[in-house]
Amino acid sequence: MAPILLWLIMVLCLVISVVKYLMGIILKFIHPGIKIQKDYSYQPTVSVLMPCYNEGRTVYETIESISKSNYPNDKFEVIAQDDCSVDDSYEWTLKAQRDFTNIRIRTGRNEVNSGKARTVCNALHHSSAEIIISIDSDCIFHPDAIVELTSCFGEPRIGSVGGRVGVRNPNDSVITAIQSVIYFAAFQLYKVPENWTRSVCCISGCLFAIRRELLLEIEPAIRARHWFGIPVNQGEDRFLTHQTLLRGYGTYINNDALCWTTVPSTLSVLFKQQLRWRRSIVRDFFYTLRTLPQHVWKLHPNSVFTLVLTPLGALIGVLVVVTMLSLDPLAWAGPVPIITALGIGAILSWVIKKYSAREALAHPLVFGTYVAWSLVSSLFLTPLALCTMDSADWGTRTKAEQREAALGNSNS
Amino acid sequence: MATPTANTPPAETKKPPAKQSLHYKIVITVYRVFAIIVLYGVLAGIFSYAFVMGFYALSRSWAAPLILSAVDEKSLDFRDKLVTSQQTIEDLKVDSNKLESGIAEMRKHRGALLALEPQLRDAIEREQTHNHATGQELADLDHQKQADNLRTEKVLAQLKEVESNINKDLAAGLITKGDAATQLAALNQAKGAYTDSKIAEVLLTDSVLDKTTNGTNSLDVLEKQAELRSEAAQLDVAINVSEKQLEEETRQIDRLRQAIVTAKQSPYYLNATGGQQLYFAFVPYDNQASAVAGSPIYDCYLNMVACRKVGTVSQIFAGEEDAIHPIFKTQIRGFLIRMNLDHAESAKSKTVFLNRKPLLF
Repeated sequence: MAPILLWLIMVLCLVISVVKYLMGIILKFIHPGIKIQKDYSYQPTVSVLMPCYNEGRTVYETIESISKSNYPNDKFEVIAQDDCSVDDSYEWTLKAQRDFTNIRIRTGRNEVNSGKARTVCNALHHSSAEIIISIDSDCIFHPDAIVELTSCFGEPRIGSVGGRVGVRNPNDSVITAIQSVIYFAAFQLYKVPENWTRSVCCISGCLFAIRRELLLEIEPAIRARHWFGIPVNQGEDRFLTHQTLLRGYGTYINNDALCWTTVPSTLSVLFKQQLRWRRSIVRDFFYTLRTLPQHVWKLHPNSVFTLVLTPLGALIGVLVVVTMLSLDPLAWAGPVPIITALGIGAILSWVIKKYSAREALAHPLVFGTYVAWSLVSSLFLTPLALCTMDSADWGTRTKAEQREAALGNSNS
Repeated sequence: MATPTANTPPAETKKPPAKQSLHYKIVITVYRVFAIIVLYGVLAGIFSYAFVMGFYALSRSWAAPLILSAVDEKSLDFRDKLVTSQQTIEDLKVDSNKLESGIAEMRKHRGALLALEPQLRDAIEREQTHNHATGQELADLDHQKQADNLRTEKVLAQLKEVESNINKDLAAGLITKGDAATQLAALNQAKGAYTDSKIAEVLLTDSVLDKTTNGTNSLDVLEKQAELRSEAAQLDVAINVSEKQLEEETRQIDRLRQAIVTAKQSPYYLNATGGQQLYFAFVPYDNQASAVAGSPIYDCYLNMVACRKVGTVSQIFAGEEDAIHPIFKTQIRGFLIRMNLDHAESAKSKTVFLNRKPLLF
């Protein structure tokens, strides 16, 4: 009975995911009303908060891309807050401050390493703008990104707006190619139904705009996040989005607000990143379950389903994969999964090439290896995330000397 | 426009009450212990799984025990086929016996028919010889008779004048009526004798014809002879066909008997007819070299470690079998062996090992 129930839940989760992708396609083409009414005349003051940690020269490039923004220079500022980097990141922010004098750049540094979430909060206190945009310090921003993000706040019930994150290095390796397809599908399809109901459940921290008063309201909760007394410094973007929804605001992703990130190109870095994300998902899932009645009353059913079934699918996926491997160990090695992955990869690669040439894949068929990654992801990430919820390690950028003393770690 | 901000001191984080702090510490400690156990368990599971997969990919000595039941579909099917084959043999035997009797009867009949043939031929020859001899004599007599009759006819031609003279003499009163009547009666008698002689001549001619030519009677006899021969030939054909049919049925019986003999060496026959519990195991072709009659069988407590000898291979069956790989769950080809097990429980193990312990302990 129990295995049947597990399979049923797993199938339900998969069906909902597939339905969301299909709805994304349908809504994108036949329901233009899902797009928000942008108001380009609305030009609030904006603070771009850029927490940085061990990014080196990249922070300079990031600030440079922001300095080329089409938003009126007198209406926005950059606040670069260094989180005790052990490399020359801070020097690069100072150099950017000196070089890009066309915009207002403020730099600061935490006294102790505090983690991305608290670094954003620290930077917030140097800002007085109406709209806060939190960005990752390893991204390159489109000149229209700020304009596009702020235009969405013309709708009063919108609390947070995200941008689309593209991949800067799609052809670095098989791993980056897979991520390019996944990123594209997530933003262009999976999140479209959530956009329709203005209830996006997770806006990427790479490009996250939020009303100042809302962020100030949430800030104490961000600072107070802990796992049985251990401060939580990861998944602030998911947390912020979740809190925005719970406070009755809408969330939206404007795919015209573009930024480009460098995705992990090695398996170990990808694994660490995905582990960190999975921890955030699990943590968010427990939070959702703890406050489920509140969610049911306040949130759109679409959000409740996404917040409950997506992580539930990941948890049950482990059991399903274990069952599958013990009942039929070579099933995953059959032609169906690889053909399916190749088919999806080929179609999405064609779409990417047509609509986002910058992310075009040199070898679309490498997406077939997603089968192996999905197996690793389903089998290892969730149990590992569940057993390392007390970990404050960011994973991907912690330097050796910093790791030992780290209280909170890094960002992005 | 560059504005450095002051270094940001860490925000004051509210310390939890001592009781709550202790509670957190306990929870975290328990959680970490649990997590370590789980993670090492997962790690052990992954290594074990990988090892089992690798082991079965390389092992050439495993066999999968198979418990066949008397009501097992294959056994029942096998028994049905066996009964049908035996019934067919019985039917063929009855049929063969009938054919053999039929052939014997036909041969007897044919013998009787063929025995008639020389007798008939002798009779015909005898009759022909006789006819040949008497026919010539009759022909001579016939010629003589004809000559006699010709002479008698000439004499009778003169009798008309005699009859006229008698009438004249009677009219002249030279003779009495009585004399005349007596004389005329003598004349008529002579005429009657001539007529009889002519009839005898005709009959003689017929007899000569019968004796010297093939008449309808002899044709009837020849027809009878031909019929006799035809019937014998038909019997030959029928005997030949029956003999061939008998031959074919005998061959079929032999084939079926051979099939039954072979079938009796099948595990399913042994299972269907054997009174005691028999133990079988499937051996993939890859592991064929390990399956030798008399070789020891090992069963292991932890799949492939901590093994003990549980019996020996008693019989190797020739027929090919398909089975699902006990670990990889793929379709594999192989054959069955019969095991003599000292420990019946081993028949329920997922795998046993032939010839030697899989990991030397």
